[in-house]
Amino acid sequence: MGAQMTGLAPSFHFMQTQTDKIVLLCTDGGCEGKRDMSRLAGKVASIVGAAGKGNIGQAIARRFAQEGAKVVVSGRREAPLAELAAEIDGDWVLCDFTSKASIDRMLDTVVERHGRVDVAVNSTGWGLLVPTHETTEAQLDAMLALQFKGPFFWLQKLVQVMAPTGGSIIQISSATAVIMLDNHAAYMGTKAGIDHVIRTVANEYGHLGIRANSIAPGLTETPMTADAMKSRALVEEFRKCYPLGRIGTPEDVAAAAVFLASDECFMTGQVLQVNGGLTLRRNPRACELEAAMRDAGEGGVA
Amino acid sequence: MGRLEGKVAVILGASDPASMGAATARRFAAEGAKLVLAARRLEGVRAVAEPLGALALACDITREEDLARLADAAVEAHGGLDVAVNCAGVSVAAPLDEVTREQLMLSCEVHLVGTALFFKQMARRMARGGSLITISSLTAYAAPRGYAAYAGAKRGADQVVRIAAQEYGPRGIKVNAIAPGFTRSAMTEGYFAVPSIAAAFVKEIPLRRLGTVEDVANAALWLASDESFLSGQVLDITGGQTLNRTPTEEEMMGALAPAANQEE
Repeated sequence: MGAQMTGLAPSFHFMQTQTDKIVLLCTDGGCEGKRDMSRLAGKVASIVGAAGKGNIGQAIARRFAQEGAKVVVSGRREAPLAELAAEIDGDWVLCDFTSKASIDRMLDTVVERHGRVDVAVNSTGWGLLVPTHETTEAQLDAMLALQFKGPFFWLQKLVQVMAPTGGSIIQISSATAVIMLDNHAAYMGTKAGIDHVIRTVANEYGHLGIRANSIAPGLTETPMTADAMKSRALVEEFRKCYPLGRIGTPEDVAAAAVFLASDECFMTGQVLQVNGGLTLRRNPRACELEAAMRDAGEGGVA
Repeated sequence: MGRLEGKVAVILGASDPASMGAATARRFAAEGAKLVLAARRLEGVRAVAEPLGALALACDITREEDLARLADAAVEAHGGLDVAVNCAGVSVAAPLDEVTREQLMLSCEVHLVGTALFFKQMARRMARGGSLITISSLTAYAAPRGYAAYAGAKRGADQVVRIAAQEYGPRGIKVNAIAPGFTRSAMTEGYFAVPSIAAAFVKEIPLRRLGTVEDVANAALWLASDESFLSGQVLDITGGQTLNRTPTEEEMMGALAPAANQEE
């Protein structure tokens, strides 16, 4: 801990973190060097959808904090948010992402306490799997509220909050916004829809220094997918669809988010396909998953 | 701890200090990569390579044996090859009514055939996975008049990127392209003699500035590092210009005759 390394400027120290990642700490403000591992130093980041243990929002929060950002995590449940905030020396604010009033209040609170929002991430989502012809009005209303209306009003508020300073907006989309997954229409349609809104925001507010992009992961092991991913046969069927030979992790998404959040990135209005090349192929069909699970002697859930 | 510590990188098209290749070389060197730089003009590459402690080689992307030698040199000098960036390019602009067969063939040879053979020869020497990167262009997605030869070949190369990603993925090699917009570089310097050209472009860019060779280097760094789980993608770093269009010749007003052929 804190041991100085030879061959580097003496103002840098290495520190071992819980995740065994080596974090370079800057002790004298000279971080603009070539060896920066504080790529988000001085930035205030707001991350919504960070209450689920081990979800993508939490991975992004941890990584942003390692990169020097002041991170404010949001979601619907106080206990896990408070715990995460304490771990990363950040802050937390409750937010129900289906409510415009709650979103406005959350972002106002972040600005009140931390002065501004430089980076904002929406990592909320509801992984509903149900055949299109069986999707109920209640399900679709709930999906639209969380995955379209919420993000829309979040973007609307953010462009106002970020107008004086500029900033980077990051929406967590999905590979399924461009490639097929059976029984996922409501989810996919709303994700694809908000990606197009992201493009609009990029185009209309770019002159204020506001960038807006999406990240599209494929299947990722998170609380949202944990049940389905108990099936090894299912995971293997998905894995075969990835040119790089593995499915993604929350940390892959977090690494992409750092790139989009940093001042190094001249991208806006884009959907980054952080899925190992999955979109060159397709997801397994429902019948393929069922067959693979049957062959493996596993109960069918797909 | 540099973000490319322990990696060996080849960068082709680094003979001018103002080029994307040279900017990428400087960034990679600062992040700890061991470098082999190449271009047709050895003198130019040497000047870029020397302050970085990089190896300099002559290499013509239209000669497959040059590409093979380049990949071999990286392995011989540094014991492996992890990253290969193709920044070789040639500016070809002419309306279809005036374009010559020679212009079309030149663009295809450098941008399309060259990119495919670059991937082929570099991937053969990537024994421990890696990252292949090539430079695409805004013009491959917008449809600027006068760019059939240039943009047609660039768009073709982007499809090669997608197929290379399929073929090399199982070996842990990711393959991606970077698409910058109109960028001040060695290849485009001539266009900056007429200030209205850059101004017309900026109007179409949501972020209200032209891209720089450093923007390209930053994107290349991310794709080269172990931090990017992307393959078969074209990274659009045009500041959002693909949401709009390229300016018309009238808007560029007094623009250089588009037939000006200017090789890097």
